[in-house]
Amino acid sequence: MGLVAVDNLEVGMVLASDVQDRNGRMLLGAGAELTQKHMVVFRTWGITEVDIAGIDYAETEAPLPAEVDPEAVAAAEAALLPHFKHCGLEHPALKELLRLAAIRKVQHGLC
Amino acid sequence: MAFADAPTYTIPWLIDRTSTVYSLPLFYERLNEAINHPRTSIDDIAKIITEDQGLTARLLRLANSPMFGYFGKVDSISKAVTIIGTQQLRDLALAASVMGVFKGIPEELMSMATFWRHSIGCGIIARALATWRREVNVERFFVAGMLHDIGQLIIATILGDLVRTMIEETQAEEALYFDIELKRLGFDHAEAGGALLKEWKIPANIADPVTYHHRPSRAEQFPLETSLIHLADIICQAFELGQSCERFVPPLDGASWDRLGMSPHQLGAVLRQVEPQIEETFAILSDAS
Repeated sequence: MGLVAVDNLEVGMVLASDVQDRNGRMLLGAGAELTQKHMVVFRTWGITEVDIAGIDYAETEAPLPAEVDPEAVAAAEAALLPHFKHCGLEHPALKELLRLAAIRKVQHGLC
Repeated sequence: MAFADAPTYTIPWLIDRTSTVYSLPLFYERLNEAINHPRTSIDDIAKIITEDQGLTARLLRLANSPMFGYFGKVDSISKAVTIIGTQQLRDLALAASVMGVFKGIPEELMSMATFWRHSIGCGIIARALATWRREVNVERFFVAGMLHDIGQLIIATILGDLVRTMIEETQAEEALYFDIELKRLGFDHAEAGGALLKEWKIPANIADPVTYHHRPSRAEQFPLETSLIHLADIICQAFELGQSCERFVPPLDGASWDRLGMSPHQLGAVLRQVEPQIEETFAILSDAS
């Protein structure tokens, strides 16, 4: 099991645990197989990630926006690395911030 | 007293020197008094604000900006007081006037435009994170973010040459600015800024997060507020939104992150909505001051 961002979900994935919204309202039970409609419902209710069976957390990097070139993002990340030297990238939040900062740079044509 | 060979700067000394240069906008104290008085009406509060035309214009533009997203038009201060609330409007008024308070720092030492872009960015991000957490009275996060680095400004005003040396040192040694401050001054800009806010009698839920934004584990009274400002500052540095004296992304305090109950995936969704707000707010606030 592993948490998968809603943007990464695919039809046919199986939930490892119940999906609830921020108020604890039950949306879909564990063991359900996802359909396109479920994903629409998740987005409607502000769900950002769900627990999927049979997925390793490390493999699930969110997809890049379509117009962004993965190589450019990798280059932007490399260019940003010196900037991150004091905080390190061990913490998953900082790893995500580096990725978001790199995508932002590419989208704004800053590098 | 400061001696050339053994600089013994202290925070009270710094604040004492600062009080002759900068003072809290006049309306703030009156506004605070009015808000705390049980018989104050909305019109009384509106009257205090509208005496300052620049402030009135900035507040109305803010209230009509995408940061709030009200459906109807907020066309008077009394309407803004009704919709936004008295305490929130007081916090917003403070945020909308601090840029006019800190003036006279040489542009070659610190660029005020990039400094305030960083501060506004931090405020808007802290506010967005607080909104995501469904905190009440989110404007206090906006002000705290706006003010989080003012310690850098007061140190630059009083000890300009030392700040120049410290900025050069951060670049040469690739060290964190607040570590250099600790080494050279014995305290950092966070503590200095917090001390000034306390001197000004700004509420502790704004002053404390400023004091501890680099050391959130020391915040005893407002750990959540402090954690939010701590993270918002890191995000601003990572995204290079404006710039303070700091050149690097400061380390993240793990316990602070855990306190917010956020997963890394959610950062993207929260941050996507803030960037246009930062530009617009920056335009509104820098325009009039």
